[in-house]
Amino acid sequence: MAISPVYAIRETAQNLWRNILLTSATIITIGVSLWLFGGFFLFNYAVGNATARWEGGIEFVVWMNADGTPEQDAAIRTALDESPEIKDWDYVDQDGAFEEFKDLFADTPELIATVSPEILPPSYRVVPADPDADVVRELADQFKGRPGVRSVVSADETIRAIQKQADKIGIVFFIGSVILLGAATLLILTNIVSAIKSRGEEIEIMKVVGATNWFIRIPFMIEGLAQAVFGALGAWGGLWALDKWVISGFNDTDSLALLDGFKVSDSEFTQTSLMILGIAVLVSVIGSAVAVTRYLDA
Amino acid sequence: MIKLENVTKVYKGDVVALRDATVDIAKGEFVFLVGASGSGKSTFIRLLNREEVPESGTIYMAGKDIGALGSWKVPYLRRNIGYIFQDFKLLRKKTVYENVAFALEVIGKPRHVVRKQVPAILELVGLSSKIENFPDQLSGGEQQRVSIARAFVNRPLILLADEPTGNLDPQTSVGIMRLLDRINRTGTTVVMATHDRGIVDTMRRRVIELDGGSIVRDQARGVYE
Ligand SMILES: Nc1ncnc2c1ncn2[C@@H]1O[C@H](COP(=O)(O)OP(=O)(O)OP(=O)(O)O)[C@@H](O)[C@H]1O
Ligand SMILES: [Mg+2]
Repeated sequence: MAISPVYAIRETAQNLWRNILLTSATIITIGVSLWLFGGFFLFNYAVGNATARWEGGIEFVVWMNADGTPEQDAAIRTALDESPEIKDWDYVDQDGAFEEFKDLFADTPELIATVSPEILPPSYRVVPADPDADVVRELADQFKGRPGVRSVVSADETIRAIQKQADKIGIVFFIGSVILLGAATLLILTNIVSAIKSRGEEIEIMKVVGATNWFIRIPFMIEGLAQAVFGALGAWGGLWALDKWVISGFNDTDSLALLDGFKVSDSEFTQTSLMILGIAVLVSVIGSAVAVTRYLDA
Repeated sequence: MIKLENVTKVYKGDVVALRDATVDIAKGEFVFLVGASGSGKSTFIRLLNREEVPESGTIYMAGKDIGALGSWKVPYLRRNIGYIFQDFKLLRKKTVYENVAFALEVIGKPRHVVRKQVPAILELVGLSSKIENFPDQLSGGEQQRVSIARAFVNRPLILLADEPTGNLDPQTSVGIMRLLDRINRTGTTVVMATHDRGIVDTMRRRVIELDGGSIVRDQARGVYE
């Protein structure tokens, strides 16, 4: 016994239309909560991508010229080893630099094709004993202008702030979106319960003529699902805008070298989109299952 | 076709609505359930449909113990039972045609079946000319005909009717009874609860009388009292 698609679509559309205000509220709430939730993930990805270079206590990077001599290298190493203020350092050679470049620009293979390891600068990733910003800047300045050194870049306040605040901001986003998702579930439930109540007579007739429980339930469950999917679509549009205009916007600023990589890759974006769709489906299934089992089967 | 063995139904609050009822109704019979208000007629009917479940005793419909049915099978039982309400219970926003078609659609009948059976049954109940009317545009008698069409469109073996003429004047009731009689003559078993003395006395069919939940009379070709 199949449920006819025409029947299901007609019933769902009627149900949603009957309570258009509540339906709109539900869809908006789902959309906003999923947008926040997805935004939290995109933001985390972007921060991760931007600060990958600054992980493990690395506070500044000494970029060498791509065509530097071994003597220049040796001088830098000695200076790094002898300084009591430097706890640790790591050398990234040209092949390593190329790997990083490939990771960073994985979305733009055209760009990667124009680059080879020989033209990329090797670098020293330095971990100072004291991560205080002033100490780091002073230390970093000591390496500026040395023979063979192209530039010295330190994790300035922006990166520090981002790193320090990212987790806190993330948690706020996360908790907020979870609460909103809870509210969205309740709204779906309310909407379906009100649809069930307004159709009491129809349901009574359906039961008396022998419609199966599933047949009676399915339009209501599809209704919940439709609301969630519309919400997810809205959230997806919002995330796309967030990625396009806000996150990508960071790459246009002056602090290019620092915020390079504050962006979200296509695969990360796709993953996030699928995740919010999955959550939307889950939320709607929970909301409508509760509504249907509590108010329909009794 | 319908068999009750020592069936007792007790509602919350210790109301015994049916007490130790044993009845055997053959296929094609027409049975009137009579008795004072509160004597248990509606309860009797709802038990047959498994809207209610008895506290003790066994009910067989078409040879099957319906107490043993899993709840997921109840809809399939009901597809063999037409049900007519005193207040018609038509859906106001649907036309005559849609009201009848609804009963087939919701049990998953394909569209070509719906398109064939609905006009045929509306012809049978004499409403071919009012197919596009809404319930509000029909008389009580016509509304009850629609409700009968809906109950019978799937050709059930059994028709249950709880005071189908309760909201109708005597003349209109006669028309409804003619219709039920015709349906009964096609071999459909009909069980009808009623307060209508005139109808019972003119039809002279089997009469089961309830009093305080007990069967006090079971008479072939009986009268109201
Ligand atoms: N759902 C219920 N819960 C509790 N008691 C009920 C319920 N339905 C019926 N009763 C009681 O069961 C008894 C039989 O009721 P029933 O409706 O079967 O009588 P009836 O013969 O159909 O009456 P009427 O002629 O007024 O329709 C009555 O005392 C009634 O109050
Ligand atoms: Mg009654």
